[in-house]
Amino acid sequence: MAADPHRLADGGRIDRSRPLRFRFDGRDYQGFAGDTLASALLANGVRIAARSFKYHRPRGIMGAGVEEPAVLVELEGDVASGNRPATTVPLIEGLAARSVNAWPSARLDLGAVNQLFARLIPAGFYYKTFKWPDWHLYEPSIRRLAGLAGAPKEPPERAYESRHAHADILIAGAGPAGLMAALVAGRAGARVFIADEGTEAGGALLNRNLTIGGQPAKDWVAAAVAELAGMENVTHLQNATVWAYREHNLLMVQERAPGNPSLLGRNWRVRAGQAITATGAIERMMVFQGNDRPGVMLASAAQAYVNRWAVRPGSRAVIFTNNDSAYAAAADLAQGGVGIAAIVDSRAAVPDHAMALVPDIAVHAGQAVTSVHGRGRVRGVSIAPCIGGTARRMPCDLLAVSGGWNPAVHLYSQSRSKIVWDKRIASFVPAEPAQAVLAAGAANGAMGLGDALAEGAARAVAALAALGQRSDVPALPETDDTPYTVTPFWTASGAGAKAFLDIQNDVTVADIELALREGYSNIEHLKRYTTGGMGIDQGKTGNVNIIGAVAERQGITPDQVGVTTFRPPYTPVEFGAIAGRRAGPVVLPYRHTPLTRWHKDNGAVMYEAGARWRRPGYYPRAGESFQDTVNREARCVREGVGIYDGAPLGKYEIKGPDAGAFLDWIYTNVMSSLTVGNGRYGLMLTDDGLILDDGVAVCLAPDRFLISTSTGNADPVGQYMEKLLQIERPDWRVKITNVTSQWANATICGPKAREVMAAMGSDIDLSPDAFPFMAFRDGQVADLPARVVRVSFTGELSFEVNVRPRDLPALWEAAMVAGAPFDIAPIGSEANHVLRVEKGFLSLGHEVDGTVDPHDLGMSWVMSRKKDDFVGKRSVELRRASGRSRRELVGIRPLDPNRQVPEGAPLTPGGRKEATEGFVTACVWSVVENRWLGLALLTDGRARIGGRAHVRLPDEVIEVELSDPVFHDPKGERLRS
Amino acid sequence: MPYDVTITRLPLRALFDLKGRAAALEKWCGTALPPFPGRPNSRTEAADRGLHWTGPDRWLLMAPLAEEAALATALRADKVPVDLSITPVSDTLTFFAVTGPDVAEVMAVATPLDLHPDSFPPDGASWTEAFGIRSAIRTIAAGYEIAVDRSYADWFEESLRLACT
Amino acid sequence: MLLIDCPFCGPRNETEFTYGGPALAPRPADPGAVSDADWVDWVTVPPNPMGPVEERWWHSRGCGAWLTIRRHTVTHEITEVRLGR
Repeated sequence: MAADPHRLADGGRIDRSRPLRFRFDGRDYQGFAGDTLASALLANGVRIAARSFKYHRPRGIMGAGVEEPAVLVELEGDVASGNRPATTVPLIEGLAARSVNAWPSARLDLGAVNQLFARLIPAGFYYKTFKWPDWHLYEPSIRRLAGLAGAPKEPPERAYESRHAHADILIAGAGPAGLMAALVAGRAGARVFIADEGTEAGGALLNRNLTIGGQPAKDWVAAAVAELAGMENVTHLQNATVWAYREHNLLMVQERAPGNPSLLGRNWRVRAGQAITATGAIERMMVFQGNDRPGVMLASAAQAYVNRWAVRPGSRAVIFTNNDSAYAAAADLAQGGVGIAAIVDSRAAVPDHAMALVPDIAVHAGQAVTSVHGRGRVRGVSIAPCIGGTARRMPCDLLAVSGGWNPAVHLYSQSRSKIVWDKRIASFVPAEPAQAVLAAGAANGAMGLGDALAEGAARAVAALAALGQRSDVPALPETDDTPYTVTPFWTASGAGAKAFLDIQNDVTVADIELALREGYSNIEHLKRYTTGGMGIDQGKTGNVNIIGAVAERQGITPDQVGVTTFRPPYTPVEFGAIAGRRAGPVVLPYRHTPLTRWHKDNGAVMYEAGARWRRPGYYPRAGESFQDTVNREARCVREGVGIYDGAPLGKYEIKGPDAGAFLDWIYTNVMSSLTVGNGRYGLMLTDDGLILDDGVAVCLAPDRFLISTSTGNADPVGQYMEKLLQIERPDWRVKITNVTSQWANATICGPKAREVMAAMGSDIDLSPDAFPFMAFRDGQVADLPARVVRVSFTGELSFEVNVRPRDLPALWEAAMVAGAPFDIAPIGSEANHVLRVEKGFLSLGHEVDGTVDPHDLGMSWVMSRKKDDFVGKRSVELRRASGRSRRELVGIRPLDPNRQVPEGAPLTPGGRKEATEGFVTACVWSVVENRWLGLALLTDGRARIGGRAHVRLPDEVIEVELSDPVFHDPKGERLRS
Repeated sequence: MPYDVTITRLPLRALFDLKGRAAALEKWCGTALPPFPGRPNSRTEAADRGLHWTGPDRWLLMAPLAEEAALATALRADKVPVDLSITPVSDTLTFFAVTGPDVAEVMAVATPLDLHPDSFPPDGASWTEAFGIRSAIRTIAAGYEIAVDRSYADWFEESLRLACT
Repeated sequence: MLLIDCPFCGPRNETEFTYGGPALAPRPADPGAVSDADWVDWVTVPPNPMGPVEERWWHSRGCGAWLTIRRHTVTHEITEVRLGR
């Protein structure tokens, strides 16, 4: 077998006995178990794997992990998702992927024509060009051309799960620092949650050739993982990214491909006593002309491909660095069979410990790469002295670059903790925690392996101490890592329109310079103007370079430039993972009454009503139109008898010696004067003088009342009463108990209601004198214990029969049987709406909208004049003291009786195009008048009754006659009958 | 791979909402109640009756439904002294038993409450949030019992079952 | 997602609570005796500092207690939680 030019014969953490087939941009390839999509593509010699966001420039794989800025792919099939860096996609059998920003493929991309117009698409281009007449005119085509992946079209076959967890100590990252912290905390018995984004633990140790305690570092990792697996108090996740740090130490963890095969992914919300960020560091790019050519790669990534995946990312490499870490990378590449043309180091002098790693490699100190040769891929570079001088060409097919290392401070910063510029490593480091968070290892700026282990142990001890647990720092093993030094080198000479600072968003040095010239020098403004750092990678390889480039150009230091805000997510997260199972049929709660089954069985069209209830809207019979049904049901109540399910009505028992005084305070009228067995309708206001709710209070005993609330306001009224009691009147002796779900009601209403009640059988004297309107009786109905209230929301004789929910179906059946001779029918919310409008009864959300007070509704009678104070009184009086005109409730009848007026339609003077003077709150087909009629709120409306007003629609004016809002039985004789 | 968990909707229970000082309630109710729990969000049991301390001056008495009438008589809810309230609330809650080897997995999906024994001991009983709605949770053999307002029961059961699949 | 240390229940997730507005001064005993300007201030001008603020939270899905908490509006740090006012 001929030697594979790209894959090493042995070594690496791949399983050569398990080949995997996959497809990329329509072509078939083969990789091995343990590969990522990126390593497998490199192993197949695929160099152009993406096209850039704006200019459609060819791009190759540049990183080896979450920092990857260039190659984003869209996965297809069962694992469909968009915008995944190829470096973070574990290879699986049959994987199908394509590059996101190229059509038909990254190699042959038709959008590449954009490159020709690159000079026409500078920073701020969108803002300057597409602002007239309207950005939305251009948006769709720009999105298509410069877009990223679309969302998958179909819901996934497998599900996501979202769950909660609790930990004493959460550790983000299972590199050397994180593993050491987990060992110390785990051994001390703490509840430890350690999550790491890699498919296996070890972090950078997997990519490098280091020893711990004289053994290969990977052996130490394996031993640590095994020890953690044996601890019941430790939860250890791999392929799980801590992606957000929220308030009060709530951290979000996205676990991909969890062990449960029915799950696509899982999102954890972990509440941690202490958090340790051991998130490592991310290598920076170097900035020079053509630094985005396929074949330019981070030095650490090239090192990782050789060591971890046994892939040669090139055959002849130039290394370009400003720090020591690239020397170990160069040595490992050489060891892996990659020819090293030279190391180009921008520093004037290279430390001896670095030189010692590469005895056989040419090192050019004080020089920099100034340009790259080759169109679709790197074929050589030009290097020149940093102080200026002649450039010379050097052939190569791989340019491995290292611009220094940035501690991954993202999570630490998300916690609102402070980070500061550290000149020693030329980057930002954690400084001052705002929550219970500690940083360890490279994430804390401690770049050496020995430091990482020491900090991991020390932070665990500190976290344990903060939790009140004593522990000691264990003896630490020896390591062989070399020191790290760096001298910043922000931009090479000549870096301009093809020197990329943000590879993903195609932001160049020229863009930054333009933005600065135009005055966008504040880093937050500059970020938004250039979009630098705003991509999916959130500028992991580029942000600090942007800050450095700005500092260099303005003659200030990077800490004076400052840093933009780090925001979640650290890496992209599927919405599905956040939602978990709260999707589809259960995305929002729904509430059923004991009769929901009956309603459905009897053909009801169910509506979503207030407070999440599902209620019957109407019960169509064969051959009936919607309006036929509503008319039939409404007529049934006006002329015979109907029955409706009132289970959702809110109910509270108010008990105590101060209960009467409490009700007097929260209702506008007097309730304390109620005698046992009697009730009263009332309004509740809030102290801003607006209407909160309406309902009925009945007196059960001298110190006990039962109040009802509207369905939608049951919970808000409970909240409001408890607040007033606990916060404003803690000394009042009142107890409130929510009995909404203890008493469900069927309301029997209509002129024949009494006959039906009598036929059902009751020990209550139902005669009008013994049981008058607004009275309450305890007794038996149809042999069921019942609380019956004579309230009416329809304007007809009405019995609200409250029973225990377990008894409601039996009560309902009894009423249907007893009512059969009277043609009783179930009534939905549509007919109820008609009946209440005919009667001029108010409905919250229709006539009550947060601007009206009781006087506006013609309900001055409900505002007690006897009481010095009740909630809302002062504000109502204050508002009315101004004497300004108010909108008042009136009835409307369209001059054309067959003309329906849309609810919410505006009224304007004469129907002219002028400021509105009111609006229509309701309009129904009246079964008593056989015409459309409705209610409206109209400026000074009561004084205009008898006159006319005009509804202004877009292409029509409807003239209406103004009337009293009560159309039916204005004296209330029927409901009192 | 569905979780190995059994969801059982339980029959109605006799429930009484008690409000007031423990001493006053104890005096009024006498032997009808188990001894008062000594710790917030914990419960005591005597015979088949359980008493839960659910909030400041708030208690929930639980018994088999067959005892509802007898308890109502014993507690004389309509005659309680001024600073107490006793309200029958048997119909307000629907109970689910969630049991099985993987019960912790499903509970972690359902509720943000920390159910680790150090935080939620075997006699724990508390109102909390599950699937975003108010729920009462207590430990039982091989799992937990969750109660929700009866109107949410169908939706809650659907949510629980989805979490198991 | 806040973690509120309820005096009765201990630390609980924000999802168990309902925000109840800023902690206002006690409602005037006799609103009629308060000047119009003072009344409007009490009703409509809540404290809104960049820093510690006192606010009401209802443990609506927990023990039912109304709480007053002192929370830093920038860091969310909660330095005090008490029952009632």
